[in-house]
Formats: sequence, C-alpha cells, structure tokens
Amino acid sequence: MKKKDIIAGIVVLLSISVLSGFLLAQAYRLTKPKIEEQKKIEEERLNREIFNEGIKFSQDKVKERPCTAVYKENGELAGWIFDLKTTGYGGNILIKAGFDSDMKIRGIRILEHTETPGLGSKITDTKFLGQFKGMEPSVLYLKKDKSEGLIDGITGATISSRAVTESVRKLQEELE
Amino acid sequence: MKKIIEPKNLMLGIWKENPIFYLMLGLCPLLAVSGSLRDALGMGAAFIFVLLGSNITVSVIRKIVPAHVRIPVFIVVIATFVSVIDYSLAAFSPQLHKNLGVYLPLMVVNCILLGRAEAFASKNNVINSALDGIGMGIGFTMAILIIASIRELLGQGTLFGINMLGDNYLPFLIMIMPPGAFIVIGFLIAIKNSIGGKKKC
Repeated sequence: MKKKDIIAGIVVLLSISVLSGFLLAQAYRLTKPKIEEQKKIEEERLNREIFNEGIKFSQDKVKERPCTAVYKENGELAGWIFDLKTTGYGGNILIKAGFDSDMKIRGIRILEHTETPGLGSKITDTKFLGQFKGMEPSVLYLKKDKSEGLIDGITGATISSRAVTESVRKLQEELE
Repeated sequence: MKKIIEPKNLMLGIWKENPIFYLMLGLCPLLAVSGSLRDALGMGAAFIFVLLGSNITVSVIRKIVPAHVRIPVFIVVIATFVSVIDYSLAAFSPQLHKNLGVYLPLMVVNCILLGRAEAFASKNNVINSALDGIGMGIGFTMAILIIASIRELLGQGTLFGINMLGDNYLPFLIMIMPPGAFIVIGFLIAIKNSIGGKKKC
C-alpha cells in the first residue's frame, strides 16, 4: 500500500468521525433535557398511580430508609413510597412500593426492568401487581413456593415474579 | 450504463430480495422484537430511518472513501444515525424506547445496514441508494409486522395489545420465545418460495 493511500484513509476516517461526533453532541444536547423530563414524568406518574389522592410529595426517612412521603390535600399524611432495587431474570428491576400511613401495602409499581418481553415483562401488569395490596409479610410468597403464599406467579416467569415478591416482603419485614 | 433513477430498486427489497425472507439478514432484532406488533412497528420505523440515512450518506461519500477504510467509515455513519434515533426515542417515545431495549443500539452491527451500504450504496448514486434504502426498510418492516402479528396472536391471543381470541384462549408460550420466531420465519419463507422467486443455490 502506498504512503499516499494510507494518509488518505486516515484523513477520511478522521474527518468522518469528527463530523459524526459533532452531530452526536448536538443530538445529545437537544434531547437531554427532554429525556430527563420524561424520566421525572414517569416517576411522578407512578407515584400518582399509587396514591391518587396524593397532592404533595417530599423526601422523608422511615427507619433510616430514604423514601417519599405523600400528603393529602388537607395536609394529612397518606403514606410513603419506597424505591426498591432487585435482580430479576434479565437484570435489575426497579420497584416503587407504596405503603399507607398504617404500613399496609398500598400499591406496587415497576419503574424499570429488563425482563424477557412477553414473559417476565408481565410483572408490570396490574393483574400481577394488584395482588400485593394489603398483604402481610407472612403471605407474601408465591403460591408455588410456600403453602401460605397468596401471590400467583406469572406463567413462565417464576424468577421475575419471585424477585418482586421477595423484595417487597423483605422491605415490609424491615419496616415492621 | 446504470440509469440515474431505476424504480425497480425500490421494489427489489420489498419482495424479490426481501432482507428477511430472501437475503436472510438481520434476524437478530427480528427474533427479539417481533413478539408484539407495537414494538415491531416502532422497530420497523426506526429501521427505515437509519437505512435511508446511512444509504444516502454512504452513497454521497462513496467516491472519497478509500477502499481499505470503507468498513469502519460505514460503521461510523450507521452508528451516528442509530444513536440519533436512540436519543430521539428516549426523549419523545420513552415507552417504545423501553420496549426496544438493547436491540435499538444493537442496530449498529445489524447486517442489513452494513450489507446494503457495502453491496449497494457504495456502488450506486444517491437516488438509487435512497430507493434501495426505502425498499429494504419497507421489506424489513413488512416482514417483522407479519411475523409479529402471527406471534402475538398465537402467543398472547392479542393484536396491538387488544384481546382477539377471548379469555379462554390458552397461549402457545413458545410463540413469544425466540424459537417461535424461527418457526414462523421458516413457514413464511416456505410460503414465499412456493409463490415464486425461489432462491437459487
């Protein structure tokens, strides 16, 4: 290969890379505020879904655990929302667990997950998550894992359903 | 010599040289994202955009890129378009971005994109390359939509998330898993070959 060809190759590859780097920086700059906004919207949407009467959300701590305290319109405390992180089948699962002011489970939502689409991804369905409302730690097991368990796992996604159930139960035991 | 505009380049990717059913390229995102129609539609749209963009760009720069650095240059071009789509979806359609997950950034190493850049856009003018990009993109989108509708209907009993087969329908689990996609693709290729345009060995 001639020296000229090598230099031509370097120049072309370098200038294409610089140009593309510049374009990417612009695209990133333009979309970044919007992406962060979307993340916040999603979190707030889930918080509101758990506590539909919630008006004010503020940082709080319960038994040394950081959480979000939720207040009603009349200023009364409605409950707390805890952020949980656990490992499912395909990676981390981020869970939002809402508790009433008397520490009963109010509602569970999944913020982020990378479970198998169509199987483990069903942990976000209300059919699965709806079962947690008002449950005690003693019955927070999958039916197939323990005879007292009251949670129906998802067909073909036992690991994902177990991960969510265990993580919520452990939090509840800790808070008691 | 080649004409400036050849409309047949558009049709080639849609039917005769369909990237999935004839070239059999890009099967990885196909297996992964064809479990539900909504995700398949998003993937198809992102795919058309990237393929069109990379084909046009590669064709524009084809005369100044020395042969020995063409592959890295093509990859950089493709990666740029993929990242732009990745950011835009995260910003404007977070749900879809979530569902496509890792398969969106993985488009960088998708063989349809590199294959069309190398086999077509680096040898043809901009208009024909754009036609080829659109044609191949539509061909891919059609293929993924057909496969996704079969898989979603059999695997979950729904289409676009709407229940079609009633509550008593017992879904085929295998249809939502990757092997289900292979089975469906196999049947569809057999059907396409029996209609015409059989692949010659």
